[in-house]
Amino acid sequence: MNGTLDFKRILKILTRRLFLIISFLFISVAMAIVVSFYVLKPIYQAETQILVNQKNTGEEAYSWSVLETDLQLIDTYNVIIKSPVIVNKVIEKLDLKMTPDQLSGQIYVSNEENSKVLTISVEDLDSTQAAEIANTVANVFKEEIPNLMNVDNITILAVAGENASPVKPNKPLNIAISGVIGLLLGIGLAFLLEFFDNTVKSENDIDEILALPIMGIVSSISDKEYDRSLPSRLTRGN
Amino acid sequence: MPLRKKEKSNKTKIGRKLIANANPKSIISEQFRTIRTNIEFSMPEQDIKTILVTSSIPGEGKTTNAANLGIVFAQEGKKVLIIDADMRRPTLHHTFEIMNIVGLSNLLARRSNLQNAVQLTTIKNLHVLPSGPIPPNPSELLSSRNLDDFINEVKNEYEIVIFDAPPLLSVTDAQIVANKCDGTLLVVNTGTVEKSEVVKAKANLEAVHAKILGVVLNNYKLGKKKGYYYY
Repeated sequence: MNGTLDFKRILKILTRRLFLIISFLFISVAMAIVVSFYVLKPIYQAETQILVNQKNTGEEAYSWSVLETDLQLIDTYNVIIKSPVIVNKVIEKLDLKMTPDQLSGQIYVSNEENSKVLTISVEDLDSTQAAEIANTVANVFKEEIPNLMNVDNITILAVAGENASPVKPNKPLNIAISGVIGLLLGIGLAFLLEFFDNTVKSENDIDEILALPIMGIVSSISDKEYDRSLPSRLTRGN
Repeated sequence: MPLRKKEKSNKTKIGRKLIANANPKSIISEQFRTIRTNIEFSMPEQDIKTILVTSSIPGEGKTTNAANLGIVFAQEGKKVLIIDADMRRPTLHHTFEIMNIVGLSNLLARRSNLQNAVQLTTIKNLHVLPSGPIPPNPSELLSSRNLDDFINEVKNEYEIVIFDAPPLLSVTDAQIVANKCDGTLLVVNTGTVEKSEVVKAKANLEAVHAKILGVVLNNYKLGKKKGYYYY
């Protein structure tokens, strides 16, 4: 019983401030649209895949432990790819106007679980440049890794191509997130206003604070009420 | 905005204020009749002749309520007098569109008599006493013995006397008159007046041993469904 009353109260608060809540929703969605369409620059992504194999000594049988070691090495490759050894060379080769830190920030290395295939993805404001960087990183890695580690078996599986559509900003996601945030803010504010509203609103309030009888209620005299008459069946008695 | 349109809206406003007269079949007029009935039945052993209408803060609808209440009493056939006891910011004469040259302040200062000051309205049985010229000392004027004599005089002349008083939390005038009236109605404007203010207003009335008849909730927003309960 108490639960339903509380739910009714919540519903009442929300409907009373419906305009506020909806305007919050609209404003935040509009802001997200403006920001993701006009403010944020589109970022393009290019991906290349490489396969890394340990140098096979020939004597050892191919075993699970070798595979295990290979997989653990992938973490090491991740670090190497983003390290200045590789990144500086890429900058040199492509004649980029970036610091090594900036470039390594644009490179993301990942691998599928239990696979020795590395995916190098590069994000850039320019789609062509993103593909160029991705391919150069893969090539430089292939060239450099025999000098660094006991690995000489690197195969480039997929060459990065130009991706026409930007990956960022994710417009629908941004709009959805800010819509939800706006909605929550609106609802939060509605409850806050309700919480701070100490005005008398109902017969219950009078009962609670004054314990005086209610002699009557008078509605706001709106145009509609002013024109609206009681149904004739009740006035017929006169 | 064209002038003609403004004039028209002004007229509807006065009509709206006296809705019990302008549209007796409206829901709001029925609400005022409910208040009338409740007053008549609230103290059966005692004849309530003088009713004070007041509120906590200004602008809660005292004058509109006092005027419409007077109208519904008059419609019942009672001889009714509405008195503008707000000698600081009188508005009753605007509501009834009458002159405010001689009124309550003159009577309390014994500068006029009831017959000269009271004005007839277009509504049968309903008379109005405006506030009169604004005196420098309304509270003192009301505290004087003359108020008792005045109340006795109007009680003899009329069946129902309604005082439209100033707000309780601004000045003491309403308390003085409430003490001498048979009953007090506290108008509470929903959604604008703070709970603490209403509690203070009630305490002010109790301090002078006013007989509080009850509360009138003004500007109450009826839900679409709720409206039908009043049929």
